[in-house]
Amino acid sequence: MFFHIVLERNMQLHPRHFGRNLRENLVAKLMKDVEGTCSGQHGFVVAITGIENIGKGLIRDGTGFVSFPVKYQCVVFRPFKGEILEAVVTMVNKMGFFAEAGPVQIFVSNHLIPDDMEFQSGDMPNYTTSDGSVKIQKDSEVRLKIIGTRVDATEIFCIGTIKDDFLGVINDPASV
Amino acid sequence: MSDKGGHGFSLPNGKGVKSSLKSTTPVTKDASIKGKDDSSTKSKKGRNVQFASEGSKFDKSAAASTKANSGSSGGKKEPEPLQLKVENELPKGAKCLMDCEAAYVLQGIQEQMIILSKDPTIKLPVSFDRGLQYTKRSTHYTDPESVRQVLENLKKYGVSDGEICVIANVYPETTDEVFALLLSLKARRIMLDDPVKEVLSELAKLKKST
Repeated sequence: MFFHIVLERNMQLHPRHFGRNLRENLVAKLMKDVEGTCSGQHGFVVAITGIENIGKGLIRDGTGFVSFPVKYQCVVFRPFKGEILEAVVTMVNKMGFFAEAGPVQIFVSNHLIPDDMEFQSGDMPNYTTSDGSVKIQKDSEVRLKIIGTRVDATEIFCIGTIKDDFLGVINDPASV
Repeated sequence: MSDKGGHGFSLPNGKGVKSSLKSTTPVTKDASIKGKDDSSTKSKKGRNVQFASEGSKFDKSAAASTKANSGSSGGKKEPEPLQLKVENELPKGAKCLMDCEAAYVLQGIQEQMIILSKDPTIKLPVSFDRGLQYTKRSTHYTDPESVRQVLENLKKYGVSDGEICVIANVYPETTDEVFALLLSLKARRIMLDDPVKEVLSELAKLKKST
């Protein structure tokens, strides 16, 4: 799910960036520093949408760098346990399948795929129901529920399930 | 802070997992035995980490990532299965965006960047593109504002922002679907049935015609 949120960060700026363009330089550095990063509490910082306030700068002893407290608004993306997401399948194997929802990777183990779906190997590995009516393969769109998340420095990884009512394939590329 | 959840998923190690930590406590079905010592987690106010049947199936993968039971996510004990509790986990002041709203915002930023990006060092990160792509694909409506208006009606029945966003994002067609997907609403189904039905019929009118 996406959020709009106000965050704060202390930005250190080299004196060479001071002058008329100080503010622009500060914002440019902020964008470079935080966009695309992720944290457990906030998730992915997708984009900065505005600057709320730039506080008074403070000279760092001994370096000449000045640190400014910057309050900024941004759009973040964070998956939640219990959330329902639509994701695109990126890889299928006998352990389950991987899918992607925005910047987030989701793994659905074969234990969390309905029991009537069997793994079929081949050029295009897939999970298919016994009557062949439903198929999950690469590029299928599935609706899944997040049941676990893990965050590391650069990515968020989730465990999902499609073993529940109203979950599963919503768009099969093969049938289109 | 990213290490708060530790490595490994914050999944329950459920029944039958041999925890490397001393866990002589009997593992009840709904207990979330997480963390170093269960006694402390009880007192800790934390996320709702309850898994019913799903949990046990993950034993292997959870065990593989050894520290699956990081103590930080000690949960309250509640009998319900996994529920969406966005509000509990979110820092103050955060506002949930529906995918269609996010699409609108991100699209605006992208357009702005094309004009403003004289500075080649500022590039939109990969996660931005992925996010935008995702919102484009999963947006079912054309006019985010009216969708928000329609769904705001549910607020007076105690439906949370997070739940409202999920409803908007998954575009359910029937009330059954809503209550199956959002377990947190299920308990209040009697009260919510009619308003949800009304909202869904309104949403159907706003659907993007593709």
